[in-house]
Amino acid sequence: MEFVSPEGLRLDGRRPLEMRQLRAEIGAVSKADGSAVFEMGNTKVIAAVYGPREVENRAQQMNDQALVRCEYTMANFSTGDRVRKPKGDRRSTEISMVIRQTMEACIMTHLMPRSQIDIFVQVLQADGGTRSACINAATLALADAGIPMRDLVTSCSAGYLNTTPLLDLNYVEDSAGGPDVTVGYLPKLDKVTLLQMDSKLPLDTFESVMQLAIEGCKAVANYLREVLLENTKQLEYRRGS
Amino acid sequence: MLQSKSFVKKTKGGKVVKVVREHYLRDDIYCGASICKTCDSSVARLSSDASTIIIVDTNVVLNQIDLLENSAIDEVVVLSVVLEEVKNKNLSVYNRLRTLCSNSQRKFFVFSNEHHKETYVKAMVNESPNDRNDRAIRVATQWYQKHLGSAVRVLMITNDRENKRKANEEGISAETVESYVKSLGQPALLDLLARPASEDVVMDSVEDLRPSKRKVIYSEHKPMSEITTGLHRGIYHQGKLRVNRYNPFEAYVGSESIGDEIVIHGRTNMNRAFDGDVVAVELFPQDQWHAEKSRIADEEDEEDESVHLVQSSADDAPRSTNVQGSSADTTPSRPSGCVVGVIKRNWHSYCGSLEPMPMPAGAGGIAHALFVSKDRRIPKIRIQTRQLGNLLDKRIVVAVDSWDRLSRYPSGHYVQTIGEIGDRETETEVVLIENDINSRPFSSQVLACLPPLPWSVSAEHLSDPNREDLRHLQVFSVDPPGCRDIDDALHCTLLPNGNFAVGVHIADVTNFVHPGTPLDDEASQRGTSVYLVERRIDMLPKPLTEDICSLRSDVERLAFSVIWEITPQADIISSRFTKSVIKSCAAMSYVEAQARMDDSRLVDPLTTDLRNMNVLAKIMRQRRIDRGALTLASAEVKFQIDTETHDPLDIGMYQIREANQMVEEFMLAANVSVAEKVLKHFPFCSMLRRHPTPTREMLEPLLRTAAAVGLDLDVSSSKALADSLDRAVGNDPYFNKLIRILATRCMSQAVYFCSGDLSPPEYLHYGLAAPLYTHFTSPIRRYADVVIHRLLAASIGISKLPAIFQDRPQLTSIADNLNYRHRNAQMAGRASVELHTLIYFRKRPTDTEARIVKIRSNGFIVFVPKYGIEGPVYLTARGDNGSGEWLVDEQHQQVKKADSSICYNVLQMVRIHMEVVEPQPNRPKLELTLTE
Amino acid sequence: MVGLSVGETNFIRGGIAQDLRCDGRKRLSYRPIHIDTGVIPQANGSARVRIGGTDVIASVKAELGRPNSAQPGKGKVSIHIDCSATAAPIFQGKGGEALSTELAADLQRCLLGGKSGAGAGIDLSSLSIVEGKVCWDLYLDGLVVSSDGNMLDALGAAIKAALSNTGLPKVNVIAADATSSGDQPEVDVSDEEFLQFDTSAVPVIVTLTKVGKHYIVDATEEEESQMSSAMSISINRKGLICGLTKRGGAGVDPSIVLDMISVAKNVSENFINVLDSEIAAAEAREEE
Repeated sequence: MEFVSPEGLRLDGRRPLEMRQLRAEIGAVSKADGSAVFEMGNTKVIAAVYGPREVENRAQQMNDQALVRCEYTMANFSTGDRVRKPKGDRRSTEISMVIRQTMEACIMTHLMPRSQIDIFVQVLQADGGTRSACINAATLALADAGIPMRDLVTSCSAGYLNTTPLLDLNYVEDSAGGPDVTVGYLPKLDKVTLLQMDSKLPLDTFESVMQLAIEGCKAVANYLREVLLENTKQLEYRRGS
Repeated sequence: MLQSKSFVKKTKGGKVVKVVREHYLRDDIYCGASICKTCDSSVARLSSDASTIIIVDTNVVLNQIDLLENSAIDEVVVLSVVLEEVKNKNLSVYNRLRTLCSNSQRKFFVFSNEHHKETYVKAMVNESPNDRNDRAIRVATQWYQKHLGSAVRVLMITNDRENKRKANEEGISAETVESYVKSLGQPALLDLLARPASEDVVMDSVEDLRPSKRKVIYSEHKPMSEITTGLHRGIYHQGKLRVNRYNPFEAYVGSESIGDEIVIHGRTNMNRAFDGDVVAVELFPQDQWHAEKSRIADEEDEEDESVHLVQSSADDAPRSTNVQGSSADTTPSRPSGCVVGVIKRNWHSYCGSLEPMPMPAGAGGIAHALFVSKDRRIPKIRIQTRQLGNLLDKRIVVAVDSWDRLSRYPSGHYVQTIGEIGDRETETEVVLIENDINSRPFSSQVLACLPPLPWSVSAEHLSDPNREDLRHLQVFSVDPPGCRDIDDALHCTLLPNGNFAVGVHIADVTNFVHPGTPLDDEASQRGTSVYLVERRIDMLPKPLTEDICSLRSDVERLAFSVIWEITPQADIISSRFTKSVIKSCAAMSYVEAQARMDDSRLVDPLTTDLRNMNVLAKIMRQRRIDRGALTLASAEVKFQIDTETHDPLDIGMYQIREANQMVEEFMLAANVSVAEKVLKHFPFCSMLRRHPTPTREMLEPLLRTAAAVGLDLDVSSSKALADSLDRAVGNDPYFNKLIRILATRCMSQAVYFCSGDLSPPEYLHYGLAAPLYTHFTSPIRRYADVVIHRLLAASIGISKLPAIFQDRPQLTSIADNLNYRHRNAQMAGRASVELHTLIYFRKRPTDTEARIVKIRSNGFIVFVPKYGIEGPVYLTARGDNGSGEWLVDEQHQQVKKADSSICYNVLQMVRIHMEVVEPQPNRPKLELTLTE
Repeated sequence: MVGLSVGETNFIRGGIAQDLRCDGRKRLSYRPIHIDTGVIPQANGSARVRIGGTDVIASVKAELGRPNSAQPGKGKVSIHIDCSATAAPIFQGKGGEALSTELAADLQRCLLGGKSGAGAGIDLSSLSIVEGKVCWDLYLDGLVVSSDGNMLDALGAAIKAALSNTGLPKVNVIAADATSSGDQPEVDVSDEEFLQFDTSAVPVIVTLTKVGKHYIVDATEEEESQMSSAMSISINRKGLICGLTKRGGAGVDPSIVLDMISVAKNVSENFINVLDSEIAAAEAREEE
């Protein structure tokens, strides 16, 4: 199948190195300590952060750092086919773990010993790149909750179809069976904290695809920073009035 | 980074799954006109002096692609909405259009109107997709006119009346194809126009000549919805229609739903379906299933079976019409039926000529003519032409447009002229076109990939750690005389321990053909070199095939070598593979090599090596035969060609010498060694070659013939078959070879495949009795070998595996293309031999011996060993249905006169007379008659 | 769930008694309601309803199915609710299941009528395509994204809005005649034409929460923690009661039940109007 036309346009009209439209909104869940909605094109996720707070299960309490927990769920209506999945299926468990590890790596957990931080991510619409969107939403929610972080961890995926590296695959491109490289990245520290790939790719191609995903992460980081800045301005304005 | 607006397009796919996709609109899509000041003109394709820019609609592309391909039409903007619609409706037209758009000689520009923010249109409420797309085309046309201003006229071409009316209302200039072509002032172009079905009414003039005026000839095709329902309920059966190559009035539809082939008798039952169409068939009640007639020709008076080359495999043999043998007369058990609808058309263009007809009175006007395709499976096609006088004695290409129920023949239009009928070059061109062989010169992009000439081995090559210097070895090559593309060479040295080091050195083509280059793409597309009688169509450009890669004598060349240590008992102890530099000391012909070996006076090192190798080869060959490899025979012929006129001077069977077999043996061994090595490293992406075990059904004709002459063949395994073929010796010396030829044609062809697609037991090469086989030894003329060279280089770790091997579907499609090209090359080769046979006999009526190979009710098919051809001999006059004068005995495969005075048995020898006759002007054919 | 001090508890209870609740509302007034429709594009219909801090999403997915043999001329509707952990940490894992099941059961009772399908807010016979063979199966999915009390009413409103947002593709039956035995008829789903639902009969749910001697509408989470019992009444535009659920352990005097019903009926009129105008406004926004 042709995923990039000879005119250099992808099926949805993007060029190979373009991301889908990003949209973010902070403070979607009033009861949560921090929350955010993050959209990458038609992929839409909502993240809520509760904490830092008392550890529910004392046995899990750690005296030198905070406990970070994460749960990822997909709404029944989030995919084209309506599928009823039991909570905690293998895929969700795996993604929950991936998000938890990625976020844990950037939260300064040592500042909040004997406490617990819960991150809940709910997928409202899935159109490819859900794990990236979840990480980006979680970052915003953590920032909204005022939890100290080393850096704004962001994530983006890139793939390789029709011998062209493509940034930010949507569902159609993702289901083409080609490689899909998901990167989690700390832009200020210039460190990769998450790297996943399915399917296979020659090493030198992989390098360029990964580099592309990192560029995507940087672009997401810029956008997140803008959103946070705007949000802070709003808060300041409201306080002033 | 993202400067586009998001839109959402909703479509309904399949059941009721709502699909939502984003649709980005952009402001960086350019118009492609060089005169445009605002757009980036680096990608512009439309020339600056164009006065008119044409925008075509979907139906114009679908129907008039032949016109668009004509170089008179240029400055065309192809909208992405049109491309998309064409792609969904007809992939082959889409590919042709894409080729046009990418051809730098033509001025076709693709404008992605669907993603341009000013030309995207959203479907309105209650607007059908068709109307929306038409509106999109109009909006884009309007945009172009506004964008480019008054300097250029932007013309929309559409044959849709409603669309044209709306365009005019909106102030867009629009014309029909006909009026546009007329305005160009080139009447010949009008012939290229496809005629819409409605115009058929005008065609009455031709129909009027027939006694039955405009009556319905074919039954109506069922509507698609009814077909779908019918298929669903098992009333209809879907399958691809295959017309019998030897009897165009009989076709078969392989149906999965009933697990058998359905026979379709006659054009009426075929109901306008073409060979290759996917059709829906309704079965007749069982009592109407026809008894099968195994006659040579069939109903109506069209053509009869022609003389042709013998088949080399079952794939191109005619369907055996008398499969169930003697039982056929009493209980016909093959399902038969009729076509009720065509699900997918396989129409393309066909080569042929016009049926001879008198010039109509008003010459220069429009004439109606009937086109007869060279491919007998295709019915005659009705065309209109304004250049009848020009075309009558020409080979032309015609495309089919429509076929309505009232017309006996389909309607089509003229596409191009190839040349004069009977002219050798024209006929060769026809052979190439019919077999889809690209004989165009290599493009400049391809030639740019070649290393500069003169080329020689450089110090860089010698210092390459991955390349062994084998120049000290006494390497030589043995090939057919006059061979210039030498891709294999050999060496054989005696080792101190009494064993031999034997090397097979293959031209290192992949050192020059790199993956992903235009050169590689072209070679991959061509797939193989094509050998015609008087001409060769190369897979790679000549500098590579005849010079840089060719392992000529006394020059240093790069090679890929397989080196074994072999005991004097011909057991391979070890094998290794390396890239190398060699210097051949002798390029011999088979005859020369044979002469050296036979001449006992010669004791020079080269001759000694040859003899040693020959001894080894003989042992290896015997071992292979013991394993069950079949020694099959083909009736390959060879022409002697006049160097001036290129006409054949002599014709004869190809002679096989020991030297041939020696070289062949080592090539087989090299291929097997490489196959094993490559498969070990890349079990899922190797390209191998397999030869499927023939099914019992395929061997049926052989068994029946053998049984008729009292021979019992054991076909339970290749070994058993080989043994029983060995035992098949009659009192006549040629008998064994004849049986072997018959056996060969029962086999299917060997094919390339991707190892990941099949399981190891299926890898078997039946004919060679080898569990693994591939092609490694002819990279200059076969692309499969190029693929294998890359795999081998990767498996010995001296280069990386190209990305393509990661992609199994793509690898499979390469293998499929190679099989297609390979088969076409063979067909073309055979057609070329047939053509030259005809030219040869034109001046030389000959009497010769022939063998009966098949019995028919009105005659029999004979095989002429001397010329390797096969053809019908009639016992009764044409048109006479036998009237009981001759009786066929299926059991004993014989035909005898009612009074038993004369009897012909299968495999019997007869004397025949061969002569070229011309029953119609410009239609020469070879006729075989009995001389008693 | 909500840890409240004695002082806070008294403040809430006192406020209700004096018809001045913590957020300044009267006992029978609602928090601001905001509705968006078409929020889930790949669903056949969807809506997001926010009432104060409560945020729910409802979607309608239609699939072709076979009708129940007991009701060959009717389609099927099922309701499923999920409480997302984003709304409250206790919903994580299987924590939200009990509440989700309860909400789904309540909604079913309030919106879908009896087991036979009689009295449903949606005309089930309009979902029939070929009697006894093919019908539409509607899957109503609700998701609680954020919870601040009154989830049932919000979900009811969201489902109503989602249904009015729903367009079912037009179905053409190709071969209905030949449905001999067990054969599913061939149907063709149109790409262009959509059928809108008649949602005028879909009731709204009004939950009256009894705190102390009084009952309030649209309780917040804190207020709900103080309830003794609650009554959810579904009422349609004609003022007919379509379903009723009583929750909470404390018994209620039958006369008070009747009183609550009549109050709910009064409140519902206004509530329906507010919902209708919000839905209309949301649809208009979506059109743009």
